[in-house]
Amino acid sequence: MYVFKAAVLGAGTMGAEIAQVISLSGLPVVLKDVDPAQLERGMEHIRDIYARRVQRGRISEHDAQDRIALVTPQLDYQGFSDVDLVIEAVPEKLELKQAVLGEVEGHVAKTALLATNTSALPVTEVGAKLHKPQRLVGMHFFFPASVMKLVEVIAGAQTEDEAVDSAVEFVEGIRRIGVRVRECPGFLVNRILMAGLAEVFRAEQDLGLGPKEIDAAVAASRLAPMGPYALADALGLDIAQDVSETLKAAYGERFDLGTRITALIAEGKRGAKTGAGFYTYTG
Amino acid sequence: MTKDQETELLDRFSLAVFLEAVRCLDENVSTAKEIDIAMRAGAGLPEGPLGHADKLGLDKVLARLQALQAQYGERFQPPERLLALVAAGRTGVEAGRGFLDY
Repeated sequence: MYVFKAAVLGAGTMGAEIAQVISLSGLPVVLKDVDPAQLERGMEHIRDIYARRVQRGRISEHDAQDRIALVTPQLDYQGFSDVDLVIEAVPEKLELKQAVLGEVEGHVAKTALLATNTSALPVTEVGAKLHKPQRLVGMHFFFPASVMKLVEVIAGAQTEDEAVDSAVEFVEGIRRIGVRVRECPGFLVNRILMAGLAEVFRAEQDLGLGPKEIDAAVAASRLAPMGPYALADALGLDIAQDVSETLKAAYGERFDLGTRITALIAEGKRGAKTGAGFYTYTG
Repeated sequence: MTKDQETELLDRFSLAVFLEAVRCLDENVSTAKEIDIAMRAGAGLPEGPLGHADKLGLDKVLARLQALQAQYGERFQPPERLLALVAAGRTGVEAGRGFLDY
């Protein structure tokens, strides 16, 4: 199924970035939120991304304006009857995602494709309350979506093959790389990366090393783009801890991040966003 | 950091990543090719974990895992799939075949 018009639900950073990526490919996209102020912030974020692209000479001012005009900010479901794909990007709460998707299902055509942008929730459960769960796929965009090329496309237990194929085609159409992933906790990338992170945290203890020298060694080795401690700080230590707990519950102790990260979180040091984590950030 | 510590640190990181990638492969979470694409495009790794192991030589990867298993236990246990590849002579890039074909 070809997507001629898309909609993104939730105008937070992630929703806005996804709408920006869709518009850049030349497709019309509705950006919907329930909160007018949030919707305006989302549009502002989209305009900022385009302004930076213009500054860097990646796109002309004229083309940028054309692309921004492809994004229609909305508080209601006007025009959803001809939307082919809805991507929900509301906060990572199961009940909220179920409610939002359940509502939009009543406003789109029966053939429309639904997608949940999640890094953590099981697609099968997100779709459990839908009339047509076979039309729901997981689309895990990586942060920031305007930069990151990968989208994990996840089939839930009830998702039909055609929905997955259409989702992958859509992802390629918006110039991203779509990788099919079977549903499992952590999906693919976060699961594999977190296994490496947890092992480095153990090595720190066993070998009596510090974050700074470990990050320097990993970065210099060119095994990864940045050191694991800088990565954890960038991600947010509370988020890293949450992901690790989910993975630990599913796969066992190899995903344990040790006690140091727990202590830092307890001190309010949750990474770059709070000014301190494994490192201290100024400005 | 001594040279030995650095070697151990980097091996433990890259082999933990490799082992999880093989588990994903065993569980049919994705294909070898797509796992490597995903880790490059989604995590920014310069090389996918399976292609990286193929480049190092799977016989060498196996030997290193056995040494780490002796020291740190079961979490470094070499996967069946790796044992089978090495036994079949599919030791990676040099042999023309490993997790991926060359």
